[in-house]
Amino acid sequence: MVSKKLSDSVPTDREVVLGILNNSEDALNRLYIGYFPMILQFILNNNGDEDDAKDVYQEAIIILYNKIKSGDFELSSKLKTYIYSVCRRIWLKKLAQSSKKTNNVSDFEDVIAVEVDVEYHEEKDIQFDKMGAALDNLGEPCKTIIQDFYINNLSMQEICEKFGYTNTDNAKTQKYKCLQRLKKLFFQS
Amino acid sequence: MPAEIKEIIFSIMRNETELDAIIEDYLQGKLTPAEADAFELLRANDPVIDHKVVAHKVFMDAIKQYGKVLSLKEQMDKVHAGIDVASLTEELRPHPAFIVNLWRKNKSAMAIAASFILLTVFSIYSIQHNTLQNGTYEVMRREITNIKNNQNKLVRTLNSSPKTEKKPGGSAKFGGTGFALTANGYLCTNYHVVRDADSVYVQNNKGDAYKAKIVYRDPQYDIAILKIVDEEFTTLPSLPYKLKKNGIGMGENVYTLGYPKDDAVLGEGYISSKTGHVGDTTQYQVSIPINPGNSGGPLLDNYGNIIGVITAKENQVDGATFAVKSKYILEALNAIPSDSLGKKPVFTKKNPLQGLNRTKQIDKIENYVYMIKVYN
Repeated sequence: MVSKKLSDSVPTDREVVLGILNNSEDALNRLYIGYFPMILQFILNNNGDEDDAKDVYQEAIIILYNKIKSGDFELSSKLKTYIYSVCRRIWLKKLAQSSKKTNNVSDFEDVIAVEVDVEYHEEKDIQFDKMGAALDNLGEPCKTIIQDFYINNLSMQEICEKFGYTNTDNAKTQKYKCLQRLKKLFFQS
Repeated sequence: MPAEIKEIIFSIMRNETELDAIIEDYLQGKLTPAEADAFELLRANDPVIDHKVVAHKVFMDAIKQYGKVLSLKEQMDKVHAGIDVASLTEELRPHPAFIVNLWRKNKSAMAIAASFILLTVFSIYSIQHNTLQNGTYEVMRREITNIKNNQNKLVRTLNSSPKTEKKPGGSAKFGGTGFALTANGYLCTNYHVVRDADSVYVQNNKGDAYKAKIVYRDPQYDIAILKIVDEEFTTLPSLPYKLKKNGIGMGENVYTLGYPKDDAVLGEGYISSKTGHVGDTTQYQVSIPINPGNSGGPLLDNYGNIIGVITAKENQVDGATFAVKSKYILEALNAIPSDSLGKKPVFTKKNPLQGLNRTKQIDKIENYVYMIKVYN
């Protein structure tokens, strides 16, 4: 049984929480591998395919990640139960939106209330989409400059060299011009 | 110093780009304490700048979160690529024999659930059959069989040949009991006895049959009032019994006269409960042996007061007979115009039967108890 073999490699809940708090990639990777079959099974048995499972599962992992990072995560339930409940909630919402049948949900695990977390994530998700759209509309080289500085944390000096500006002041001015346009795009959308 | 800063800020207020830079440095804590103080003062006094600071912070959080989620997704995609999704899908997709899978996964839970259900079923079953009087309600009208009818006809041809031509040619379908309410031919019986009737005949203990019509039906209390409309019928001597208006206590001895066969049969018992089938307060429960054909018979107490109408008995429960309380007879009577009733039965304490022994009482009332024959 594949699931049995996989479940052996599932890290403990404590390992996951500490790993995420300490930015351990390995903890997140093992968590991801550990519970994916559970969600895949749930989605496949409830009108979905493996791509749906991937999308829903990744959203749930992001929710869990943000919750742990924000510091208000308490191990009141098993991570497994939490992830399953979040995925279930998200998937039922998606089914309802595409007006597919949502009665007779086949469940495989216990379920806890996660509505608040999911709704909070939905707001964040809207922001994420808005930011993505704004960056796409920004065009080059602004998009890369902004990403390099604000996301990849490159220094002004590195950006200056990468884009061939004569001095950092020019690069800075360029960056702020880009930032102003991006802010406009972001807040207007 | 502050004057210098103010000047700088004043100049940059016209320069949006540099204002952004200042706000960013301010949010990242890169300003010197003096500069920060000056900026905070400016922010406090200028709502436009304050708004810009807040907006910038929101934006910064959004872009940081965007970057984080982007890198998370990248990382997860990398891990996802390492999972053999195809074979997992094959294994986990809904199996044709879904029940089998479900059983395999939840074996122990299902076993517990099943035993719990079994236990529940057994407890409910035993509760129903051991502790609760909960049988079905069986009305006591008699379905007259062909054999009995043949006997009937024989008796009638022998006893009352002059009247046979008046009786309907067909055989009576159902039989019950009824009793006189007034001297001029109003009778009381059960609604269910005459429910499907096309025509109704009543027969007294001497074997004289009269045609009757239904003048009142009350399905709720299961009471019907008949009127004898036959020309042969002569007004009865005044009624020997009274209707008892008040309730009667548990344990009181009672008896009934009825026609489970073609001759009147006496049944004797006692009030066993002040409520009837499943707590019906319009009825008594009586411990009395009755049979099909007893329906509609009068239930009398020791003093010859009519206290109810025999209605039904309960299946599966020994000695549980039900009788509609006499006050509902009165309600039924009230529904009939009083001038057509003639002398109404009154509710008095004084009763002509009082003080007489059982045999004498029966002797007096048996002329007022009729067999009801229903044809349809």
